[in-house]
Amino acid sequence: MKSPVRTIKKRLVISLLLISIAVLVMCIRLFYVQVFMHDELYEKAIESWSRELPMEPERGRIFDRHGEEIVINQLAPSLFIIPRQIEDREKTALLLSDVLDISKDKAVEFVNRKSSIEKLHPEGRKLSFQQVREIEEASLPGVYIADDYKRFYPQGRALSHVLGFIGVDNRGLSGLELIHDEKLYGEQGAIELFTDAKGKEMSDMPSTFQKASPGNDLHLTIDLRVQKIVERELNNAQEKYDPDQIIAIAMSPKTGEILAIAGRPDFHPNEYQKVKPEVYNRVLPIWSTYEPGSTFKIITLAAALEEDKVDLLDEHFFDSGHVEIGGVHLHCWQREGHGQQSFLEVVQNSCNPGFIELGNRLGKDVLFDYIRKFGFGSKTGVDLTGESDGILFKEENVGPVELATTAFGQGVAVTPIQQITAVSAAINGGIVPVPGVTKKWTDDGGETVEEVPVKMKHRVISEETSKKVREALETVVAQGTGRGAFVDSYRVGGKTGTAQKVKDGKYLKDNYIVSFIGFAPADDPEIIVYLAVDHPKNTVQFGGVVAAPVVGTILEESLSVLNVEPRKVQVEKEIRWLDPVTYKVPDLKGKTKKELNSMLMPLKVEISGQGDKVIEQSPQPGVTLPEGSILRVYLD
Amino acid sequence: MDRWLLLLIVICTVFGIGLIDSASSVWALDRFGDAHFFSKRQGVFAFAGLFLMVMVSRIDYFVWRKYAKWIYLVSFLLLILVLIPGVGLVRNGSQSWIGAGPLSIQPAEVAKLGVLFLTAGLISRSSKKITSVRLLQLMGVIILPFGAVMLQPDLGSGTVILGTGFALLFLAGVSYRFFLLLFAAGAAGFAALIISAPYRLQRITSFLDPWEDPLGAGFQMIQSLYASGPAGLFGFGLSNSRQKHFYLPEPQNDFIFAIAAEEFGFAGGTLIMLLFLLIIWRGVLIALHAPDPFAMLCAGGIVMMIGIQVFINISVVIGLIPVTGITLPFFSYGGSSLLVILFSCGILLNISRSRSV
Repeated sequence: MKSPVRTIKKRLVISLLLISIAVLVMCIRLFYVQVFMHDELYEKAIESWSRELPMEPERGRIFDRHGEEIVINQLAPSLFIIPRQIEDREKTALLLSDVLDISKDKAVEFVNRKSSIEKLHPEGRKLSFQQVREIEEASLPGVYIADDYKRFYPQGRALSHVLGFIGVDNRGLSGLELIHDEKLYGEQGAIELFTDAKGKEMSDMPSTFQKASPGNDLHLTIDLRVQKIVERELNNAQEKYDPDQIIAIAMSPKTGEILAIAGRPDFHPNEYQKVKPEVYNRVLPIWSTYEPGSTFKIITLAAALEEDKVDLLDEHFFDSGHVEIGGVHLHCWQREGHGQQSFLEVVQNSCNPGFIELGNRLGKDVLFDYIRKFGFGSKTGVDLTGESDGILFKEENVGPVELATTAFGQGVAVTPIQQITAVSAAINGGIVPVPGVTKKWTDDGGETVEEVPVKMKHRVISEETSKKVREALETVVAQGTGRGAFVDSYRVGGKTGTAQKVKDGKYLKDNYIVSFIGFAPADDPEIIVYLAVDHPKNTVQFGGVVAAPVVGTILEESLSVLNVEPRKVQVEKEIRWLDPVTYKVPDLKGKTKKELNSMLMPLKVEISGQGDKVIEQSPQPGVTLPEGSILRVYLD
Repeated sequence: MDRWLLLLIVICTVFGIGLIDSASSVWALDRFGDAHFFSKRQGVFAFAGLFLMVMVSRIDYFVWRKYAKWIYLVSFLLLILVLIPGVGLVRNGSQSWIGAGPLSIQPAEVAKLGVLFLTAGLISRSSKKITSVRLLQLMGVIILPFGAVMLQPDLGSGTVILGTGFALLFLAGVSYRFFLLLFAAGAAGFAALIISAPYRLQRITSFLDPWEDPLGAGFQMIQSLYASGPAGLFGFGLSNSRQKHFYLPEPQNDFIFAIAAEEFGFAGGTLIMLLFLLIIWRGVLIALHAPDPFAMLCAGGIVMMIGIQVFINISVVIGLIPVTGITLPFFSYGGSSLLVILFSCGILLNISRSRSV
């Protein structure tokens, strides 16, 4: 047997060995923790040491195509507190309740919250300068002010549907603000404050400051000058006709760039809560779906011309006022009919039986093929959300009656944006554009970061056909149903539309959507304008009466701001008994009383003074007056 | 006398005061309005402890064998006394303290020495092989105070008492088979402990993934890792700990190694472990050259007691084992703990005086 001493010695050495191994294991583990786990632990520890005070970035602004401000920002700082740093809770609560205009109970609850950083929604956000000053002057520990912004709309309600609005967290909630939220928002900055576990700042560790980077600026294709004209005209029309809704779009037909877009009822982006959700959720010009009425005849016309099914000038058509198709009587809008007319006059008169004839000549397959190629029945691809598809007859269900009604714009449902896009293709040389409102993005230095290219789809008709359509539509304005849109020396082309509204599958009585689509100049269109007025009151519900004059005004003023050269030659306006006849006032100075009486002017002449010779007249010579107006002359 | 050991002990004790000063400054200022509150007190303890050590080193170690029974008995009585409600003081959920104010002591610390002396004495009384009957007797000596300590409950001290006792049995040459059986029995007992107090199981699982319950069971572990992990190879520098800013609770106590690793990095952490390894190496040398079996066992037991505490404490801090309340010898704040360690070192030094030829 071994001696106990030797055993102990042996076991001592073994113990030393075991302890050495244990120390080695601990060293390896320590190395693992401090080297291999270092990054992960450091990141987590930083998170645990720091209190992040977020800094809102300045949201990207929105401009029109010429850099005019549509949406900009105003500084509106936010308040937040670090509850643990507050020294005098009573005093702090009192001040906050006073400055932020909240109840004292709420303020007390706020300052006694337990988390590391607390914000107060919504009273503590978007503060005024006065509030900020009062808070800063009090210089209470634990109460902080962080940069924040609020949206400002220099154009008021203009474009509200398209722009949408943002929430209190500066994130887009609808419209372009929502679609492009990521780009517009920018990146949050932060002040990272290192604090001890009780929330007090650690003096020996510097706080880091990470600047917020502002969002990119969005430049739209919108031309604010045109938009303002449209908005004003919509306001006037609303006042005059008290309609249920109004829709207007102005577009560059060659590129699909939307120059103006508006709808009524509208709202102010800062006060969206004051209107019903459907008002701000629906961008009417791309959402509304209704029967187009006669404006749709442009499509039938273009298809017939392209397929060489009609000669507008040399072919004639007799309209008795109605046609019988498959046992159904279809009436012309003018009950007594238009009688014998050329096909150009069919277009000018918007004669339904004439278009039924064109539809029949094309046949259902060809006509529906064109309708689809022009973009009806599917989304145009406009860069806004909430676009509808529109509704077409299913081709297998199309019989003679459906073909006939489709040819003059009934029984189909389309959106305003589809109409303006299709008509653009009909008049721009034959190519369907993709409508759009975004033009480019710039960064905060003004450098362009992204150009949004103009997109064109496919060709539907030839240049030649497109030219014929333009010319035919110019005569509609000069000599036909669209005369209200006539603009002197700008060759306006266009087409009226009047469609009965449908509700639950039935036509409503005396309830129409009247519309007009017009473009100018007819030889080289720069702008196309679509306007629809839903159920105008106190008037005859005809597109030519209600919508055409408004589009005429919009076109005239827009062409002027767009610097489009006036044309020297145009299709002259035809005078009809409906139109007021005008008379140019001659120079009457020096004429005797006798001479005046023998002149047979179509004006009421009021004579004052006792003499024999005319010394003054009102209005002055050269002024055009409607027949029967008063002309005052003064004798010496 | 082993001057190297003496030097190492003094270095560790002084280094410990410095670390306590840094680790506790924020807490001390917050609680007592004096950033050096803990380090000052530890300084006093260290001075008293070193004086005690020198005194003990002059007392013939034979005395401890002679009075082993009485020391053991008194410490056991204290362990019983501390359990009586109203007599023992509850701190941090354990009824481990007896006395009043600054004069309070932890009977468990005394019991460590009692078990050490009595076990070493009983083994060395006979040079014959340890029989089963003697083994049972020895185990009784160890397990009785262990059981009392676990009633406080103080898992840390209990582990040290048990570990030191069984280390002595190991040194005495008890067969490996016994330790295998013991291991099996320990595992069974462990399971029983967990069933009796499920919070222990949570402690165990929480060390494997402390982030599972970051504010509860995993809290200390996470805060400890946030100290050592980010510090890297060389640390943030003296007094630059971040975790001592109320993140790591009572950083001057059981988790002081975390603060050391935070301020001095891997370099500082390994230096401390190296210091301990040197102390243990000197201790083993002393034991190997001790003149009689009792001295050998006594020295070896002290070495193992230090080794076990170091291993458990540091392993907890760096996430190797579940959290166990155990102090780091020389470094952790605490009078009882430091006095007992320095007292033991005094015995080691005394044994080193009488080397066998």
